[in-house]
Amino acid sequence: TKQEILMAHKIFSELQDRENGPYSSRVSMEKIHTLPELKSNPFRKRICHVFSTSDMKDGSLSFEDFLDLLSAFSDSATLEIKSHYAFRIFDFDDDGTLDARDLEKLVNSLTGETDDTRLTGEEMRQLISNILEESDIDKDGTVNLSEFQHVISRSPDFVSSFKIVL
Amino acid sequence: MELKEFNNQVHPTPDYPSPYSSQHSLRLRTVPAQDTSAVQCDWASPPEDAEDSNEPQNLRELPLHMSLKRAVWQVQQMKVPVVSSSWNIKQSKTFHRFCEVAKYILSYFVLWKRGIQRIGGHFGGGVQSYFLFLRFLVILNFLSCLLIAAFVLIPSIVFRSMSFNSTITLTVNLTDIETCLQYDPKPDPLMVFFTYFLDLVSGTGFMEYSYLFYGYYNNSVIESNGFSYNIPLAYLLTAAFYFLFCLICMIIRMGGTARLVIVTGGGAVGGYSMLVFTGWDHGLQGDRATKLKQNNLRHRLQVDLEEERLKKKAASLTLGQTVSLYALRVFLNLVVLILIGATLYGIAEATQFSQSRKTTGFVGLLLQYLPSMVITASNFVVPLLCDKISLLEKYSPSTTVILALLRAVFLRLVSLGVLLYTLWEQITCKGEINSENCTPCNYYHDQYKCWETRVGQEMYKLTLFDFLITIATLILVEFPRRIVVDHCSCKLTQWVGRQEFLVAPNVLALVYSQTVVWTGALFCPLLPFINTIKFIFFYYCKKITLFQNCQPATRNFRSTTSNLFFLLVLLFGWMLSSVVLLYSVAKINPSYGCGPFRFYTAMWEVVPGAVEMLSSTNKEFLFYIGSQKFSIPLFIFSCVLLCYVSALTSVHGKSVALLKSQCKLEQRDKQFLVRQIEELNATMQKLQHEPQQPQRETEPFYHAATQWNQHNNYAFDPHEDPKPY
Repeated sequence: TKQEILMAHKIFSELQDRENGPYSSRVSMEKIHTLPELKSNPFRKRICHVFSTSDMKDGSLSFEDFLDLLSAFSDSATLEIKSHYAFRIFDFDDDGTLDARDLEKLVNSLTGETDDTRLTGEEMRQLISNILEESDIDKDGTVNLSEFQHVISRSPDFVSSFKIVL
Repeated sequence: MELKEFNNQVHPTPDYPSPYSSQHSLRLRTVPAQDTSAVQCDWASPPEDAEDSNEPQNLRELPLHMSLKRAVWQVQQMKVPVVSSSWNIKQSKTFHRFCEVAKYILSYFVLWKRGIQRIGGHFGGGVQSYFLFLRFLVILNFLSCLLIAAFVLIPSIVFRSMSFNSTITLTVNLTDIETCLQYDPKPDPLMVFFTYFLDLVSGTGFMEYSYLFYGYYNNSVIESNGFSYNIPLAYLLTAAFYFLFCLICMIIRMGGTARLVIVTGGGAVGGYSMLVFTGWDHGLQGDRATKLKQNNLRHRLQVDLEEERLKKKAASLTLGQTVSLYALRVFLNLVVLILIGATLYGIAEATQFSQSRKTTGFVGLLLQYLPSMVITASNFVVPLLCDKISLLEKYSPSTTVILALLRAVFLRLVSLGVLLYTLWEQITCKGEINSENCTPCNYYHDQYKCWETRVGQEMYKLTLFDFLITIATLILVEFPRRIVVDHCSCKLTQWVGRQEFLVAPNVLALVYSQTVVWTGALFCPLLPFINTIKFIFFYYCKKITLFQNCQPATRNFRSTTSNLFFLLVLLFGWMLSSVVLLYSVAKINPSYGCGPFRFYTAMWEVVPGAVEMLSSTNKEFLFYIGSQKFSIPLFIFSCVLLCYVSALTSVHGKSVALLKSQCKLEQRDKQFLVRQIEELNATMQKLQHEPQQPQRETEPFYHAATQWNQHNNYAFDPHEDPKPY
């Protein structure tokens, strides 16, 4: 809606004003990370990388990218859009599939980055083999987009948890 | 050329580098949007006012960057013919916009929406489901008290204050039952404040002869100016409709929940991947909430993995160990049953004791509250003991939780049932109407001059006691515990820790109070209203204690299946109270001295009497509906409908299974094809190397390696002269 766009523009231009230099249209990743909604999200780096269209791949967002981000995380985005972006956020090495390394990084982000909050190596192995057994239908050792969407479609809480409201 | 790239983007492949490359060509084509305000004006117009109604939806659903979407939209605009705006499409768009605005406005009227969202954000889905359940019960109670007020309370007040002429049909010979008519609960005009308080709390005295209880209502049929209102009939039918209304609300809510449970397979299948992929809530804000969520997830994963390991271990037990484990479990179940049986016996004894004594003052008050106290104490102590026993039973964690819930539910509802049974025994002299105490009036007249009011008073006392105990626990246990834990840093308090908000016992307490209200609604019409106020108090008190005193639960609660379970338990409580209602309406003789059903042999008899007075066509219609000619075809039709729906369900289930196996077959085909391609590649590679080393083929395979090495060493021929030139 129009009010939401105006509010987003206001927040974005506040972030921009702190940048010294000419009227640049991009806001760096660190500035985006100061937003209260993203400050403690463990996936904030990945989110910025996914939505960024900058050539330097530094995760900076223009206003259009910022609107893309908000619309993907909004109430009115469909399950397909959300699952597509969720897949890209979880794909840490950007290779188009979730392999065991991606899953390990994902689980570590979910449980906490410090040493005493991680799962043990044994538990991690068991967990990853369970995940691959459940969701890898073509048994190629990785989870691709359609398998991911298959798992997501069976969860009733995904749409409401993949949401950021300003 | 660029169109092809656009087509590629319309059907996105997971090919991430391409947006960056096509970005250049797009940037050249589109107006350079360096100024962000220009972007705003430019972007606001396209997808919303596009002519074709299908295109904007497709555009919004594409997971593309904004500039790409704009380019795609421009291409589509070029393709779309000019004459495409029609009246139909504009109408449907205005309708959609109207629906959105209406939804936005209606969301303001949802009760406590913000509060419950905040609770969900900080404490998770399990605690939120408790508050959603509480809100559902508040709304249910409020609507039912409106129903009762409209049809029973307000007419009674109006008619009493206006003192209309009322006709009472007397068809009973009054000579034998003069003793039964004695009932004089009118309060003493000179009252001490202390007795005032006692009466308020126990429902006697001035409270007894008031709109609160059954005994105050008249059995009058008001007739004036062609308007007739039959109060007894209204009373009975309102009670019946109240029960039906609650049943319908519960079934509607259960339907929604059951659909979710079936679609997601109960949440047990695909548990790990679903937890990892969908577990993170992006709406959480703040470091503390994030850390809590991470702890939650880690704990849940560890518990699930531990459970799997235990299952594997249990499956590998020897025969002797399995037999001994099962014998232990049977023994412990017997112990639990004995414990519950002892509790029920204690409740029965307490009820009999308190009903038969009649002392006034503070001791009398304690005596009156004796059944409530015993029930509450047992509801507290017995689940604790069952928890300790279940540690010995060595079930898996989820089975332990379910078993504990079932035992607690059984205890609560059966203890209420025992209380009611004891009351019935005393009122109807154990069912023998012709025994000595019950002879003239068909009920125990000496003790129970107006038995309905007494039953209503018991339910009122139970409700009130439950409320007082909850508030007292809050003030006397939870706040001090937090203060002690926060300020005293000795090891014991750190080990005990802050209170955890346990969802299951709290929900069972709600179900118990709702069952009490349903049971007492016939005898105490204002009870739903009291319950609404009580639950509203509960919401605010529990919210305060949650935020001030509690830490989030380390065990997360699977909300979808447990919602269904709580609604099932509520339904079971409803069935218990409807049994009570039906029995007391149909079988027990209403009191002669009080109430709207004074001179009937059973409450039900108001209805045939009223039906007799209807006009003949209405009468015939009602008789026809009740007769066999109508009800048997109706029954057959509903059976057919049931069979159809269950056949549909099984067909859908089978097609889902078929699709799954097809998926597996396809992946096997894919693996087979991939292997074939690899083999083909290998043979192709071999064929390519063939012309260079023809003698290689004749060699057997296991010598190939040594030959290769020797081939390498041709430069160092041992027969050659090793001397350099």
